[in-house]
Amino acid sequence: MFKHLFKLIWNKKKQNFLLITEMLVSFLVLFAVFTLLMFYYNNYKKPMGFDYQDVWVINYNNSYQTKNVDSLDLYYETLRKTIKSLPQVKEITFVSGNIPFSSRTNQSGLTFKGKHIDHLNNFTVEDYYKNVMNVTLLEGRWFNKQDVVSKNQSIIIDSDLKEATFGNEPAVGKLLGNDDDKNKFKVVGVIQTIKRNGDYLKAGPGMYFRTDTGSFRWLDKILVKVTPGADAAFEGKLYKTMANYMKNANVEIEHLANKRTDANYFALVPMIILAIVSTFLVINVALGLFGVLWYNINKRRSEIGLRRAIGATGGSVSAQLVSESMILATLALIVGTFFAIQFPLLNVFDLPAIVYIEGILLSVLFVYLLVLVCSLYPGKQAAAIYPAVALHEE
Amino acid sequence: MIRLQNIEKVYRTDTIETLALNSVSLDIAKGEFLSIMGPSGCGKSTLLNIMGLLDAPSKGEIRIDDQKTGGMNDKQLAQFRNKKLGFIFQSYHLINDLQVLDNVELPLLYRDTTAKQRRELAAEALEKVGLANRLKHFPTQLSGGQRQRVAIARAIVGRPEIILADEPTGNLDSAMGNEIMEILLSLNRNDGTTIVMVTHDENMAHKTHRLVRLFDGAQVQ
Repeated sequence: MFKHLFKLIWNKKKQNFLLITEMLVSFLVLFAVFTLLMFYYNNYKKPMGFDYQDVWVINYNNSYQTKNVDSLDLYYETLRKTIKSLPQVKEITFVSGNIPFSSRTNQSGLTFKGKHIDHLNNFTVEDYYKNVMNVTLLEGRWFNKQDVVSKNQSIIIDSDLKEATFGNEPAVGKLLGNDDDKNKFKVVGVIQTIKRNGDYLKAGPGMYFRTDTGSFRWLDKILVKVTPGADAAFEGKLYKTMANYMKNANVEIEHLANKRTDANYFALVPMIILAIVSTFLVINVALGLFGVLWYNINKRRSEIGLRRAIGATGGSVSAQLVSESMILATLALIVGTFFAIQFPLLNVFDLPAIVYIEGILLSVLFVYLLVLVCSLYPGKQAAAIYPAVALHEE
Repeated sequence: MIRLQNIEKVYRTDTIETLALNSVSLDIAKGEFLSIMGPSGCGKSTLLNIMGLLDAPSKGEIRIDDQKTGGMNDKQLAQFRNKKLGFIFQSYHLINDLQVLDNVELPLLYRDTTAKQRRELAAEALEKVGLANRLKHFPTQLSGGQRQRVAIARAIVGRPEIILADEPTGNLDSAMGNEIMEILLSLNRNDGTTIVMVTHDENMAHKTHRLVRLFDGAQVQ
């Protein structure tokens, strides 16, 4: 029967061309939507890597400038003690500007064992960063005072960078740096990659450097871990403390949890727009398919009547029409998959291959489901055609 | 072979009730070639549809090969039609998108046969109707007479005991009509196939064993 149906479809290839094209276009649009959806979902499934709740960000413009490093240190250490003495503050840390959920980045590249890693995030952090952010240590340790005297500069890498460089092997104690660089960094710890771009976007590999004595010159953010329930009154008090200490500096306080919400919103907007557009498209495609199948059935009443007369049951007529639609969908999906598979093969948009594969599988499933739903009712109507009537219509 | 007892067929709409067949009783013997004649709208095709189990009578009983067909479900009716009956229509009802051989194979698709068996049986049937050299043609590439011969090949491919022909020569000129009639007569004569033919043509009807005339749904001869 399958061969018979295939022959019937092949001999009507001109009439079926538009229908196949319609299914192909819907597959390609759905592939884009599902790939993006899976990309977001896969990122969402990954652990956050840190705790953003009750972490506040103090932005300040660095007004205190002195050539004397000791004076600089004293100025900021005094500020640290002042803030930390507030009862609602659990811990504070000075950090570089590229904190989680901010649009600021500090990136470099790295060539390791001939493999080039692009968009490598560089974070400058203090020893207190771990406690403020509650980062997940996977291997080794966090920075401490012994890193000051280390022969090679100590770094901490995240799990993405570890996977890209050392794979499944332990990374702690190993040297990392560009192939031609003599002063390589020594890995002292590996942390879970923190999702700095929000729940839905890829964080990218990152490495963490310990602040040194001159870092206060350019650090312009403080992360403050506050006690749960720290309120607006405390925020006002913290602001006043900062403003009183840093005369003429612009101070702004944000909450990391709010910044995460904003980051997620900006990530979701294109997805929501694409989903709305594709929903309308799918509805149009479904109506189109339904209309074409319905029209085909009306055109084929004589054939349906004949098939009933020579031994087909109503069910088998219905099954035949549904099967024909499914074969057409299969032809469209073979062509569509050929195009879609080029994305992981050519590494377009630098997404993991699995995301594309999941996108292809979901789109295939959806198109089959759509075609099935759209052909079921016309198929049922075809089964209800009365052979005695259909055979005398011509 | 076919026994119709007091067959009545009433078509009902919201406002009108039409009596298409009025108490028709017929006994058709195995190997008989029967023709049915009558003016348009007298119920010839309705009677043929009822004999072919394509339509159910409003009243009465049909027995084919001593089997009561009244209580059969859709699947049983389909199987019965497939094995016992062959149909020939005035407008051929060939599928234009399928080659001649594929058209003839159609009834065998609904049986448990292999592709090879289907091809062999279809080629054999086409040879019987003189179209062995047209297997790969499409129906649109054939003349009316050739198309009707394809339809006959399709009707006989499953070796049914009964052929029901609804005005098989109605769309053909007299020469082609005679050719078709000769094929039907030979099927009846040589293979013992029971044939019931609806026709408007007196000449064709007189070539058959028996003629039944209908008028206003009732049997008058």
